[in-house]
Amino acid sequence: MIARLTRHPAVVPIGAVVLAILIGAVVILLAGLNPIDAYAAVLQGSLDVRNLDYTFSVWGFICGMGLVAAIPLRMGEFNLGGNGQLVLGGITAYVVASQLGLPGIVAVPFALIAAMLVSGGFAAVSAPLATRFGIPIIISTLLLSPVAVAVASYLVRFPLAEKGSGNAQTPVLPEDAHIWSLGDLRYTTVGLLLIIAVMVIFYVVDSRSAVGFELRVTGANRRFGEYAGLKPGRLALGAMGSAGAVAGLVGAIIVLSSPYRFIDGALISPGYTFAGLAAALLAGGRPALVPVTAILFTILQVGGASMERTAEVPRQLSDVLQGVVIVILALRVVLDRRRAGAGKDS
Amino acid sequence: MSTAAVELRAISKRFDAVVANDGIDLVLARGTVHAVMGENGAGKSTLMSILFGLVRPDSGEIVVDGETRSFQSPLDAIAAGLGMVHQHFRLFDSMTVAENVVFGAEPTRGGRIDRAAAAERVRSLADRYGLDTDPQARVGDLSAGARQRVEILKALHRDARILILDEPTAVLTPSEVTSLFTVIRRAAEDGTTVVLVTHKIQEVLDVSTEVTVLRDGRVSGRFVTADTTSAELVRAMTGREVEIVANPGTGTLGDAVLEVEGVSVTDARVERVSNVSLSVRRGEIVGIAGVSGNGQHDLVAAILGTAPVSAGRIRLGDHDVTGATVAARRAAGLAVIPEDRRGEGSAVTMSITENLSLGHHRQPPIGRPKGFGRGWMSLVAARTRASEQISSYDIRTSGEKQPVGSLSGGNAQKVVIARELSFDAPLLIAEQPTQGVDVGAIEAIHGRLLDYRASGRGILLVSHEISELLALADRVLVMFAGEIVAEFDRSQASAERIGAAMAGAAAAAGEEWTA
Repeated sequence: MIARLTRHPAVVPIGAVVLAILIGAVVILLAGLNPIDAYAAVLQGSLDVRNLDYTFSVWGFICGMGLVAAIPLRMGEFNLGGNGQLVLGGITAYVVASQLGLPGIVAVPFALIAAMLVSGGFAAVSAPLATRFGIPIIISTLLLSPVAVAVASYLVRFPLAEKGSGNAQTPVLPEDAHIWSLGDLRYTTVGLLLIIAVMVIFYVVDSRSAVGFELRVTGANRRFGEYAGLKPGRLALGAMGSAGAVAGLVGAIIVLSSPYRFIDGALISPGYTFAGLAAALLAGGRPALVPVTAILFTILQVGGASMERTAEVPRQLSDVLQGVVIVILALRVVLDRRRAGAGKDS
Repeated sequence: MSTAAVELRAISKRFDAVVANDGIDLVLARGTVHAVMGENGAGKSTLMSILFGLVRPDSGEIVVDGETRSFQSPLDAIAAGLGMVHQHFRLFDSMTVAENVVFGAEPTRGGRIDRAAAAERVRSLADRYGLDTDPQARVGDLSAGARQRVEILKALHRDARILILDEPTAVLTPSEVTSLFTVIRRAAEDGTTVVLVTHKIQEVLDVSTEVTVLRDGRVSGRFVTADTTSAELVRAMTGREVEIVANPGTGTLGDAVLEVEGVSVTDARVERVSNVSLSVRRGEIVGIAGVSGNGQHDLVAAILGTAPVSAGRIRLGDHDVTGATVAARRAAGLAVIPEDRRGEGSAVTMSITENLSLGHHRQPPIGRPKGFGRGWMSLVAARTRASEQISSYDIRTSGEKQPVGSLSGGNAQKVVIARELSFDAPLLIAEQPTQGVDVGAIEAIHGRLLDYRASGRGILLVSHEISELLALADRVLVMFAGEIVAEFDRSQASAERIGAAMAGAAAAAGEEWTA
């Protein structure tokens, strides 16, 4: 019975989370503070009704960046370039919304679409790099990401900088280019609905389309896919392009939302990319689980600030917990291999 | 019972809904060769995994040398004097034979591995048991037979007194089988207890002293080899008499479905296939015989399109596919049952349904090739199709959602065969179609291949089993060192003649490998 329970696929991810929380508690204790107070503050801060607006918007961004990692993960590829793709989308959206003088009704859609195209194209470069030149996607995405971040940083500091401001930021976007808010909520916008729509599309494509099936087959056994006539190069192009497009969408939504400008570092410093990556890994790339695992990292992210305020535990503890979860999930890969090795084949 | 080296008492093990072992008793007398036989899915592999500590039984006892043991892992089993040679080798390709053999129990001098002592140890063990091997050779360069000898040496190095060999002859050439049997007999004379897991009756009769037959997770027969017959063993395995399918002979031949002209394949600067020409016509089964590693698989890869040709042309029906993609070749009318089932022929983590659907997923009834809904799949159709194939191919499973990796080898093979035959392609390439498959299923698979031919399609059958080629093929080509060295018509083909062509080749290849 116990053996059967430990084989359930949910055991490792849940175990990872529990262990991370315990390790976090030990760290807090060692610092001479009270872990129960700290965790209570995390929950309170993130689930407080007055904060829910903000919490939901963060959940949306982490879900979005979760997809950015999860889509390539379906075919066994790691996209570590989320930051670059996110920032490129943000700066593209700002340029389209502010510089082209588009009338109100089309400014926002055009900015979103342009951001998706640019980020999608940027991420897709990694596919031919892998197919033609043998550079693994995990490496090229990781190395190309800082390039995009640096380009955006240059643009916001010089050509697009707000004159007279000491901060590295653009001027505020015209009223027409603000993304539509939902009622009188401050943080949650139509952008959240778009991200939810993208998650639904990913779920349906993954489970019911031929391409989704081909991605999963390639992820499970690439040689099997090739033998059956699938083209991993093309699948990688599609997966990376879509992942980049989602990152671009998230970046655009952030820039088009309050405070309606591109601030250097503001897209990266909340850590949506790696929270999303952790959520995607915890979900094993499964589309239906990404929004669920994203809840956990949302709570850590949002609650971290209030934990710092009320329990005097630095918010970096959130990053520690996130890191522990990722390490344990990496261990799972090793354990799975062992289990596969013990598999029977008379 | 004082002579028993190992006793398994009332071993039971369930995997989800499948009862793999149901109260199995097994007594292994010291210094004997004990064959454990059974069809695929009969529970042989599970029982051996339990004995070697890889799997823990739900109930039952393991008694080694009169002492009850509970193995938490293979390390415990090794400490108790067991050694196992797996069907899939577990060796480090980039290291030498000696390094592989002593791995985990290295002779040391001053905290460093004593390489000279390791090589000496390997040499002395090899001499003692007649295991021909070069301690300094790199394992990656060795043939399957030589790798198996390394695995056996590894077990002997750790002083295994009970040696489990899981389907040891599956990867061997006829001459290698003979020398393996010599090693087995010598080890038994030396007091080692050898457990031979197999479903090949001839091997059991040739080398074992006692036989235990499993069927559906239970013991269905115990025999002393000298007092039994192959018919009796078959009955115990299958519960019925197996008829050898007789090839009804060639019908009318149609157009060529495959034409290979002067094809060469070069891999890592070594020419694997040299200037091979052959053709397969509708209504014909063309066999390729040869010792494993003589270019058969490279030729198949070239026809499928997973390996490029360095010279020559390949035509499928009317299409010249020499430089075409795998997808284009399959569309032109090609299906392939590959040799490497786990590595190439299936995704072990995916379900039976998904494995059966690949390649069919864009065609009706699963996919919709045209109009609204193009690019989408019907999961209901995929499941229905899978359950039909599960019953028509008699795939033993707890359901169509079960991952292929948890099926027994023979049942996993049936999944691959069902998928490929259902393409109804004019040309089928069948590489070792009955490997790891039990007697009853072999008969069914052979029957299906003959039906496939009778429906006016062509088959290129690559096999190491001469009996299989004789039973099915209309013509047999023999490959050696990348070339076709002999061709026999059905009327001229005989086990002796094919064997002679392969055996001459095998001797030459053997010299090359051991040099």
